[in-house]
Amino acid sequence: MPSFRVLIVESDTCEMAELCQLIESWEYASSSGDTLPASLHTSHSVLAALDAYNEVQPHLVIFGPQAAATATAAEIRRLRQSGGVEPVPILFVQDLTGLESSPAPPTLCDDILTKPYSLPLVQLKLASIRRFGEFNRSLMAQRDRLRRHHADFLQEQASAREIFGNLGNESCLDDTPGIRYHLSPRAVLNGDLLAATHTPDGKLVLMLGDFSGHGLAAAVGAVPLTSIFYSMIPRGFAMSRVLREINRKLYSILPRQMFCCLAMLELDPRRQHLRLLNAGMPSPCLKRSSGELYMLESRHLPLGVLSSDQIDTAIVNVRVRPGDRLFLWSDGIHEARNSQGEHFGESRLLNLLREDNGDDAQSFDRILVAVNAHAAEQHDDLSLVELDLTHPSLRKTDLPALGNGEGRKGGRVGEWSIQLTLSHEELRTTDPLPHLLSVLVQMPGAVRFQEDLAIALGELFRNALEHGVLELDSAIKSTDEGFVHYYDLMAQRRGQLDEGWVRISLSSSEGDSGGELTLVVEDSGSGFPEVREAAGAYAGRGLKLLQTVCEEVRFEPGSSRIEATIRWGKGPVRGDAGKTRGNAMQNPPLPV
Amino acid sequence: MVVSDRFESKVSSVFSDSGGDLVIRVTGNFDFNMHREFQRAYRNVSPPPERFLVDLSETDHLDSAALGMLLLLRDYCAELGSGGVQPTVELLNANAHVSHILSVSNFDRIFSIR
Repeated sequence: MPSFRVLIVESDTCEMAELCQLIESWEYASSSGDTLPASLHTSHSVLAALDAYNEVQPHLVIFGPQAAATATAAEIRRLRQSGGVEPVPILFVQDLTGLESSPAPPTLCDDILTKPYSLPLVQLKLASIRRFGEFNRSLMAQRDRLRRHHADFLQEQASAREIFGNLGNESCLDDTPGIRYHLSPRAVLNGDLLAATHTPDGKLVLMLGDFSGHGLAAAVGAVPLTSIFYSMIPRGFAMSRVLREINRKLYSILPRQMFCCLAMLELDPRRQHLRLLNAGMPSPCLKRSSGELYMLESRHLPLGVLSSDQIDTAIVNVRVRPGDRLFLWSDGIHEARNSQGEHFGESRLLNLLREDNGDDAQSFDRILVAVNAHAAEQHDDLSLVELDLTHPSLRKTDLPALGNGEGRKGGRVGEWSIQLTLSHEELRTTDPLPHLLSVLVQMPGAVRFQEDLAIALGELFRNALEHGVLELDSAIKSTDEGFVHYYDLMAQRRGQLDEGWVRISLSSSEGDSGGELTLVVEDSGSGFPEVREAAGAYAGRGLKLLQTVCEEVRFEPGSSRIEATIRWGKGPVRGDAGKTRGNAMQNPPLPV
Repeated sequence: MVVSDRFESKVSSVFSDSGGDLVIRVTGNFDFNMHREFQRAYRNVSPPPERFLVDLSETDHLDSAALGMLLLLRDYCAELGSGGVQPTVELLNANAHVSHILSVSNFDRIFSIR
């Protein structure tokens, strides 16, 4: 309907004719460049105009002098309502013939035409009304378009939120009171992400990440990251391997200006060992029960920046002591600004942590309250995580995902054996655990001891690698500095390994009454020492752990071969295995 | 990440006296709002300079979007370098706060910082 439509209301035929002639003499330039006259519609009364209104859909309504003099407020109101939201101006003709002074203009209408008509004035009015009308309609069309886009956008956001919400379904964040976390409501589409799960051997792995940029683009990056995390960690891939995979993936998919700052930690609650990689995140803070604070600063570039990485050398190792807590946060906290533009910053945060010697449990809430009070005006994305590193619930013995409820009953495990030998080149980077476990998950009954097997294999392999092949002495770990030094040394020696091997054999035999799985691990090292000096507090830990999951652990001093057995069905079962373990306990402590 | 336009920021670029270096100075907050201006400051400079010197002496704060922009500049240099000598990027005069952000991100490993 490109025409400019004018509806004229007038009861007097002469006046009507004069008005029509007047309006017809005006032409406007249409959008196609043609000059056109307005299209006229006439009604003799307001009632008739109301009837015609919807059909005509006028852009302008003119009341002739008679109609203007008699129209009531109610009629005008109804006419205006017929126009809907689009404002249609109403012009009254006011007859000034024979009047000495102008009467007050009626307020029911938007403007007046005075009689006697002045052609140039009428044309000016019509042209300007048309221009404003066009302008108004294009604004409304834009508004409608924006409304539609906004509705679509909200719908997309809701779907995206749901997807990201579901990504977190696999996490174990809510399974333990040892973890407290706060992610701002905006975080889901703001590039912050938090994920946690367990390794097959019962370690807790948690990551807090922050994508550069904001909005949907930043959040989309969370999908590959989370899916790599939740598929690799529960299968037993080592943290460095998972991080390398994440870096590789992000590097290949992210636009150049985007990257991901990430802190990933692995807590071994049994060995009280914390490993942490910080790639560009604000330093997580380790708060010892003594009140001392240690900052674990970033030692790696954010992930997705470079195709190469030095993940192994950037992982820090920390010995966990009773009562230790770890706080992690995203830079939303540092960057929270008050009305003066002043950042909340790290020092305020550390002061809060430092002051809080009385009741540690409240630090978390106090930080959140302080940050929110500081940034009263703008609630930005902020993520905060508190990990109670020695909370008993973190030390779980069976994993819900594995459905261990049936105890040691289940399908047949069968008769089989496999052997895997890793050469020095493989030992630099390979992690045999996921490969061996993936063989084992094929066995229907294996789920019963998957975790035990993962722990035993992990311990045996680590022992063979660290002490056998790399010739590291557990005694180094006896001090805090030594503990860190030990792992630095391991990363260094492992990276330069040019000889040595580790062989792992698994064999299963099963009869009607039960079965056993035997693990044999050998290495190229010089063998277990004949006599060990008093082991440091942390050496020998591995052996004890091994004995809690295996019925029998056998090795000879001077030999580099160790054999461990897991049994199920009848016969000695775990739990009252104390007697069978007696053998092992007589052996010298194993420097695991 | 925070996007705020409440704080005045601007980008300026001038050739050094010797003519070989393009000095880009970012004043105020170096954040996502600067990305157009920052790109304009280094793109289509003809002939391309030997070095891009990003002067951060007037920069109050730097966020991850700014780090992303520096990565783009680094990539742009590699692009320019495909036909001849590759220009280098140097970050200058960062204040303590900005230096801290650069070192947290370990950007000192891929940029030369003075």
